[in-house]
Amino acid sequence: MAAGRRVSARPLRIGRGIMLVSLTMFAMAPLLMLIVTSLARGWFHPQVLPSTVDVSGWSELLTDTSRRTALVNSLVLGVATACIATLLALPLGRAAALSTRGVRRVVALLAFAAVALPPVALGVGLQLTVLTMGLGGSLRGVLLAHLVPALGYLTLVFLGVFTQWDARLEEAAATLGATGRDRWTRVMLPLLRRPIADALALGFLVSWAQVALTLLVGGGAVRTLPLDVLAMLQSGQDQRAAVGALALTIPALVVLGAARVAARRTTAVIA
Amino acid sequence: MSTRLAVRGLAVPFGDGGAGAVHGLRDITFSVSGGDCLAVLGVSGSGKSSLLRALAGLQRCDAGVIRVNDRDVTALRPEQRSVVYLHQEPVLFPHRTVVGNVAFPLQVRGVGTRDAARRAMEWLARLQVDALSMRMPDQLSGGQRHRVALARALCAEPAVLLLDEPLASLDSAVRRDVGDALHAARQASGAAMVLVTHDLDDALAIATRILTLGAGTQTALDAPDALLAAPPSLAVARLLGIYAEVPGEVVQGANSALFRWAGGVVPLAGPLAGGGAAPGRGPVVACVRAHEVQVSPCSDAAARGGMPELPSLTVTDRRDGARDAWITLRDAAGATVSVRTGSGTVARTGDIVQVTLHRARLFPPD
Repeated sequence: MAAGRRVSARPLRIGRGIMLVSLTMFAMAPLLMLIVTSLARGWFHPQVLPSTVDVSGWSELLTDTSRRTALVNSLVLGVATACIATLLALPLGRAAALSTRGVRRVVALLAFAAVALPPVALGVGLQLTVLTMGLGGSLRGVLLAHLVPALGYLTLVFLGVFTQWDARLEEAAATLGATGRDRWTRVMLPLLRRPIADALALGFLVSWAQVALTLLVGGGAVRTLPLDVLAMLQSGQDQRAAVGALALTIPALVVLGAARVAARRTTAVIA
Repeated sequence: MSTRLAVRGLAVPFGDGGAGAVHGLRDITFSVSGGDCLAVLGVSGSGKSSLLRALAGLQRCDAGVIRVNDRDVTALRPEQRSVVYLHQEPVLFPHRTVVGNVAFPLQVRGVGTRDAARRAMEWLARLQVDALSMRMPDQLSGGQRHRVALARALCAEPAVLLLDEPLASLDSAVRRDVGDALHAARQASGAAMVLVTHDLDDALAIATRILTLGAGTQTALDAPDALLAAPPSLAVARLLGIYAEVPGEVVQGANSALFRWAGGVVPLAGPLAGGGAAPGRGPVVACVRAHEVQVSPCSDAAARGGMPELPSLTVTDRRDGARDAWITLRDAAGATVSVRTGSGTVARTGDIVQVTLHRARLFPPD
């Protein structure tokens, strides 16, 4: 029998290394650019690096009233969207998962539509709805608009979770004497900690990054950080725009990190 | 002990959560005392699991009454019944340690954490898994998971313990281990146990009575010995799965009725008539257990004085099991019949033999 040719591991390792470096550069280059721009004053082509380091853009973020308002609005919208969408999506996903296949499909389709529709199309529809409700240009109206795609995403998340859910856990708990409340607090919620953390993070991020819906429904009256960044870019304030863009990434990274930590923490109940 | 579980005229609808149930159940009536174990035997899809789920309150009933400790629980929720249901695969809470799992039923009753843990440890010790108390469920073997689930069920101090095929899908060593644990549990707790199984050996190892299900209703309810000695119908005998079916006919002899089959003619009296409904004249099926058949090579029979009244048969096939042997016989007319006999029987393929039936149960054929 002919012996197979042994493939050398060295070229593979080098190839893997090149790919890894390329991917890292691809992902990190815009971020590095943002960081440098956020600290640069008067950095123009063909300068390789900025001549002056300036942190005023960062201090403005917290001291400038209008920017602080935008930041607070974004945080309020993100937290509220995450909490409300999770509270609604969890029972909705569970009810759909326990329903007939037909109901499950309809719910999944509706949830997917809320996610897949172009934001502008969805935004126009929501704008008309919110205006009819008398909430146009208000934070509550924007919150309502943010809830639509967030609820879509989160319903799909919980539909998946509860389709895989082992209903025997609840049966076992029930016959062991656990009331409906006990089953939720002692069995289901501890086991759902990870999907709930994921859902909260996802709900926050959907709202945090929202531009089209905020603009259409808020009508410019509700300022959020992404809208602020766009406005500064359009007016040529590159340093302030970079600071705003970086500020946009920080909570996203914090939320994702917190969700991971919450999910990794042991859920063991000793007794 | 007093009656813990009494079921009267229970009807469970078809296909309501009972995985694979083909029949709905009707007219199910039985009772189980504390410390006793009722084994429910039936083929797949006969509604065994549906019955257990209905008793646990996990499935609705169409009719009938379920009483636990003389209290009507038919309309009560599962947590109000004092009935614990053990799934076929042990369902342990994956986020709780072993002791946390076992303490769970006490904690939901409001017992303090320390006291619940102490009592949980006592049950773990009784079932010999106390050394595993701080492990998580995914760190346990199959047999250990069964023992922990059983300890948790017993820690709930239920009036009734329902076991859904607890020994199915276990290898033989674990099966024996879990079987021992169940036996110990039956003795240690005052609970009435209802065990669903399709394996007669499992039922005999643990149960004090056996209920059989067929075509949506109960077909027999008796003590294991009595049921094996005299199954009430051919269907029940087949379900028990320990009899060879010997076709023959009942004919009128000079003084009494006779059973005539390929292996000879036997008076239909005494042990031969034992069990089953008394058949009329005509074709019948005799159900015979292995130890009730004697297969003797003709040379041995001759040496012992012979049995000249018995026709000779040819062994055409022999299949040996762990305890019994299936022997296929052919008579002079070319008809074949299979009998189950002890594995010590010396007859080999090709031997000429005579067969004596010491006992049989006669039933009308299907």
